[in-house]
Amino acid sequence: MALLETKGLSKSFGGVQALQDVDVHIEEGSIHGLIGPNGSGKSTFFNVISGVYRPDSGSSVLFDNHEISQLPPHKITELGISRTFQLLRLFLEMTVLENVMVGYHCHTPYGFLSPILQGSKVREADEKIQDEMIEMLQFLGLASYANLPAGELSGGQRRLLSLGRAIAMKPKLLLLDEPGAGLSPVNVDHLMHTILSLKEKYKLTVVVVEHILKVVMNTCERITVLDHGQKIAEGSPEEVKNDHAVIEAYLGREMADEDIRQVIRA
Amino acid sequence: MIGFFTGVEAFFTGLSRIHRLLPWILAYLLLLPLPFLLKFGISEYYVDLANRACLFILLSVGLNIVKGFCGQVTVGHIGLYAIGAVTSALLAINYQLPFWVSAPIAILITGLAGIIVGLPSVRLEGAYLALATLGLGESVRIMIAVTPAFGSSTGIMMIPEPKIGEFIFNSFESYYYLVMTCAIIGIYLSFAILRSSTGRAFQAIREDAIAASVAGINVPFYKLLAFVISALYAGLAGALFAHMPPGYLHHNNFTIIEMVTLLLMVVLGGIGNIWGGVIGAIVVTVIYDQTKDYYFYQPLIFGIIMVVMVVFMPHGIGGVVKQAMIKRKFIENQEESRGSA
Ligand SMILES: Nc1ncnc2c1ncn2[C@@H]1O[C@H](COP(=O)(O)OP(=O)(O)O)[C@@H](O)[C@H]1O
Ligand SMILES: [Mg+2]
Repeated sequence: MALLETKGLSKSFGGVQALQDVDVHIEEGSIHGLIGPNGSGKSTFFNVISGVYRPDSGSSVLFDNHEISQLPPHKITELGISRTFQLLRLFLEMTVLENVMVGYHCHTPYGFLSPILQGSKVREADEKIQDEMIEMLQFLGLASYANLPAGELSGGQRRLLSLGRAIAMKPKLLLLDEPGAGLSPVNVDHLMHTILSLKEKYKLTVVVVEHILKVVMNTCERITVLDHGQKIAEGSPEEVKNDHAVIEAYLGREMADEDIRQVIRA
Repeated sequence: MIGFFTGVEAFFTGLSRIHRLLPWILAYLLLLPLPFLLKFGISEYYVDLANRACLFILLSVGLNIVKGFCGQVTVGHIGLYAIGAVTSALLAINYQLPFWVSAPIAILITGLAGIIVGLPSVRLEGAYLALATLGLGESVRIMIAVTPAFGSSTGIMMIPEPKIGEFIFNSFESYYYLVMTCAIIGIYLSFAILRSSTGRAFQAIREDAIAASVAGINVPFYKLLAFVISALYAGLAGALFAHMPPGYLHHNNFTIIEMVTLLLMVVLGGIGNIWGGVIGAIVVTVIYDQTKDYYFYQPLIFGIIMVVMVVFMPHGIGGVVKQAMIKRKFIENQEESRGSA
C-alpha cells in the first residue's frame, strides 16, 4: 500500500520550474531513495511535502488517505511526516535534550495553559518525556551531551541530533535530506546503519536523498531519479542504474566527479 | 564566583525537590524585611525605588518572553504598559471600581491589545516588525497625549490606591508588599511557562521558525501567545503603576525613551534568560536613578551601554553566568564518569 502518493506535483519559483508534474509512490514500510544532480529539485520535493512551500495548484499529495498539499507544516507533522534539513536547522542555542523535546511537541500530553494552572502535572509529564528522549539520545550516542547547547556539537553529532529531532516527532514517514553530507564514507556507512536500525525500531517508512549514490544503491529498495524538476526514472537499484536517461542526466552535465564514476561502476 | 552561583542553584534545586514552591516561598520570606532595611538603613526614597524596580521586573520579564525567548523584536511593549495603566486608572476613577476589579479588567484588555501588537509578527520579522510595533506603541502614547479623557497634557491625577477593607496601600512600604508579591508570582509563572513545552516552542521559533513549524509547532499561534502573555505582564505592571502612590500618570511615562530603557534591561540582563531579565531590571533601575541628574544624557548613556552589550556580551550578564555554569557542570560530569569508570 502506498503511504505517500504525489500526483502532478509541481512547484515553480518565479521562472524556475523546480518540480514539474512529479508522480511518486512510496510504499509503506520501505526505504526509498531520491537522487538527482544538484538543483534537480530533491530538496524542493521535501519542502513541498512537509508544507514548508505550498505546491502549485493542481498538485496532489496524498498521505495516509489525507490530502495534505494545502496544509501548514505543523498539521502535516501531526499527521505523521517528519523530515530533516540539508542544512540541519538545529536550534543551536537550545540544549541537545531541548532540541529533541521540541521534536516531541505535538505529543505533549498537556495544553499550553497547563504550565500556569497545573504546574506539577506539567513537571511530571516533562520528566517522563525527558526519560524517553534520553533513551533515544542514548541510542544515537548523544546522551552524554544532553545538557550541552546543540551549537557545541561537532558536525557529525549535529547530523545525528537532527535525525533524533525528527524521530522524536514519532513519524510514520521520515524524509532525510542528504543525511550524510560532509561525512567521510566510513561515517556515512555507519549513519546508514543507524538509519536502518531506527527504521526497524520505530517502524518507519523512509525517503532518503543522498548524493553518494553507492549508499542509496546499497540500502534503498526503490529509487526515484529527478532531473531538472522532472522524474526521469523510478525502480529498483538494478533498473535505475542501467537506465539510459539516468546515465545521461549525470554524464550530460560533464561532471567528471566521483559520483558519476560510482554510478557507472556500481 | 561561578562556584557561588552553582552552589545557590544546587541549594534551590534541592529545595524544589522537597516541594516545587519551596524555593519561591523562601525567596519571598527573605524579601519581606527589605523595605525596613532600606527605610532605616538608607532612606524611604529607596523603598519607592524598590517598588519601581518591581514594576520594571514585571515589564522586563514579560518582554523577555516575547523578545528574549520567542525572538520577536517588539518596540510596542511600553504602549501596552500604558494601556494597562490608563485603563485601570479610568475604571477606578470613572466607575469607582476597586483596584481588585479594575486591574484584572485592565490586564485582560491589555492582553487583547497584545494580539493587535503581535499580529504584524505573523508576516514581518526583525527591523520591519520593530517598526510596526513601534508605530502601534507610539500611537497609544499619542492617543493618550491628545485625548482629554485619557489625561492628555495634564495627566491623570488622584488615582485611588488599592485597599483591603480598611487597609489602604498608600505608603511606599505597604505598596512594596503588593508589587513585590506580584513580581515574585510573575517570575514564578514565567519559569513555569518557559520550562514547559510552550517555552520550548517559543525558543524554537526564535532559533529557526521553519524548523519549528516542521517540528509540529503552530508558529503564528505561539507567536501571538508570546505577545499576549507579555502583554498580560505589561498590563499588570501598568495597573500597579497607576495606583501606586502618589496615584498619578502622564503620557511622558510611556515614551520611546522608556521603551529603550526597558530593552536595555533585557539586553543587559540576558536575552532569553529569566533571571537575566530580573537582574537587568534591577541594575537599570538603579543606573537610571543614579543618572537622573543628567537626564539629558541618559539616552546617550543607555544607547552606549546597549551597543557595547550587543557587541561584546550578546547574552548579557545572565548569559555569561549560565554559560559558565553549563561548562562547569559538563566538566564535572565528565570527571565523575571518568572517576567511576
Ligand atoms: N526558495 C527558492 N527560491 C527560488 N528558487 C529556489 C528556491 N528553492 C529552490 N529553488 C530552485 O529550485 C531548483 C531546485 O533546487 P533544490 O530543490 O534545492 O535542488 P536539489 O536539492 O536537488 O539540489 C534550483 O534551481 C533552485 O535554485
Ligand atoms: Mg538539496
